[in-house]
Parts: sequence; C-alpha cells; structure tokens
Amino acid sequence: MNQKINLKEIERKAYTSYHQDGVIDITIAFVIFIFSVIMLGDIYWLGSIGGISGFLSLLLYAGAKKFLTVPRIGYVKFPQQRAQRITAVAVALGVLSFVAGTVALIQTMAQGTPDWLVLLIENYMLTIGTAVAALFMLAGYAFKTKRIYAYALMTLVMFVAGHFIYFPLYYYLTALGSVILACGLFLMIRFVRKYPKVTETVDA
Amino acid sequence: MNSSKTSDDELNAIQNINKIIHEPARLLLMAHLFVVESADFLFLQRQTGLTWGNISSHLRKLENAGYVAVEKEFIDKKPHTTLKLTDKGRKAFKEYRKSMKQVFEDLPE
Repeated sequence: MNQKINLKEIERKAYTSYHQDGVIDITIAFVIFIFSVIMLGDIYWLGSIGGISGFLSLLLYAGAKKFLTVPRIGYVKFPQQRAQRITAVAVALGVLSFVAGTVALIQTMAQGTPDWLVLLIENYMLTIGTAVAALFMLAGYAFKTKRIYAYALMTLVMFVAGHFIYFPLYYYLTALGSVILACGLFLMIRFVRKYPKVTETVDA
Repeated sequence: MNSSKTSDDELNAIQNINKIIHEPARLLLMAHLFVVESADFLFLQRQTGLTWGNISSHLRKLENAGYVAVEKEFIDKKPHTTLKLTDKGRKAFKEYRKSMKQVFEDLPE
C-alpha cells in the first residue's frame, strides 16, 4: 500500500513540477487581457475572430514550454490518459457551447429572444462569472493544478461582487488577469531560479 | 515441518526479489519511468537528484537487462536521448512491487 502511495506521489510530483513554471497562468492572463482590450477599445470585430486569441495563446504556451520549461526541467511525456482527458474536456466544452448557441439562435429566430436568454443577458456579470469559473474548474481538473481552482473561486467572488457594484466589465477582467499574471510571473521567477538552464548534454 | 516450509517460502520470496531493480538508485529511476511514458536525462536528474554519471551507469544496467529503451534523436540539431520502460521493464517492476509487498506482509509485527 505504501508503495502505491509513493508511486502516486512520484507521479504527482513529476506532473506538478512540470506545471510550476507559471506558463499556464501567464497564458490564461494573456487570453483575459485580449478580451479586456477588445471591450476597452470597443473593437468587437476582434471578438468575432476570437479563435485568433486561442491560437495565439496556444503558440505562447507551446513556445514557453519549449524555450523555458524543457531546457530547465527536461523533456517528459506523460501517459496518454492525461492528454485524452484534456481533449475530452475541450471537446465537451466545444459541443456544449455549440449546442447552447444553436438552441439560443433557433429560439430567437422562431419566437424572439427566449426568457432564459434575457435572464442570462440581464445578469451578465453572474453569467460570465459562472462561465469563466466553470472553465477554470475544468482547466484545474484537466491540468490537475489546484491553484486554477483558486482562480475559479476568485472569478466567482469578483463577478458576483460586480453584479452588485457596477464597474465596466473590462475593469473586472483586467483585475482578474492582473492577479493571475502576477501569480504566473511569481511562479516563473521561482521556477527559473530553482532550475537554472542546463547546457550540458548527455548521451547514454 | 509446517513451520520449516513457511520459512523456506519466505526465504524463496526474498531470494526471488529482482536484484537489478532492488538497488536504490535503479529503483528510483524505474519508479520515475514507470509513472511517465518517456523522459530524458535532465528530467530524471531533476526528479531524482542523482548525478549525470550515476544515472548514466544505472541506466546502462537497466538497458542491458532489457528494462529501459534508449532512443536517440536530434532536436534542433542537438542530440537528445529519450528513455522509456520497455514492456519487459514494466512487467518486471510490477512483479518487483508484488514480491516486495508479499515479503513485508509476511513479516511478523
């Protein structure tokens, strides 16, 4: 039993050390800032090509992992189950969004804006807050990273407060992104100090 | 008679422990490779705290036993060595865990 616990601990340590570089936090903050800028600058046409922010964030994440993380902590490939879990979460999210969007569109075209959509729009701070918190929860589950659950809680608290205390939405997004960015930068600095870059190469 | 048979079984169980895996540094390397699909030298060094030389010599023994597969490739024109447990290595590690568990479970309190 003890051995089982130790193996789990080894696996947990291997996985978390790979995600203690702050890259995921900085990527999340980057995406939040993009949405914040879109709202601040009233450049909603950028929102229609929101896929670009997703693409850019993937590039940022992959690039940072390649040039910052791997040279310091080494290369590791985790079992496929983890990748499958992340893919399953992404697919489930995509399908859910698509179904919700389609239902809303069909109902709006057939009989005007449905009541449930009006309710969601009227309470947009609660709607957005819950959606973003749910996204964080899923990301926390997929990456097995506890601090992302804390981001979910922080988002929920911030947006519920925003429902009662009015400030433009981008204020809240900027505040949220700033806190997450600060956490990411702190983790990155700690990671870089803890794991200096290794130039030595070894062949077995 | 019965007691003698039991002690013989216990001795057999201890003698059957895989000595290649039983060495602490190799056990550490095997355990780390068991929980991932593949990793490189640097990752193993960071995780285990062993030196390059130590890792290299122990991995050679594990490779000679057929427990670890070493794949060499070039990434960005630099040589890169990736290590992974073979099926034989995974099976041996599982058996090692089982036999160790058995040995300790059979010991009196």
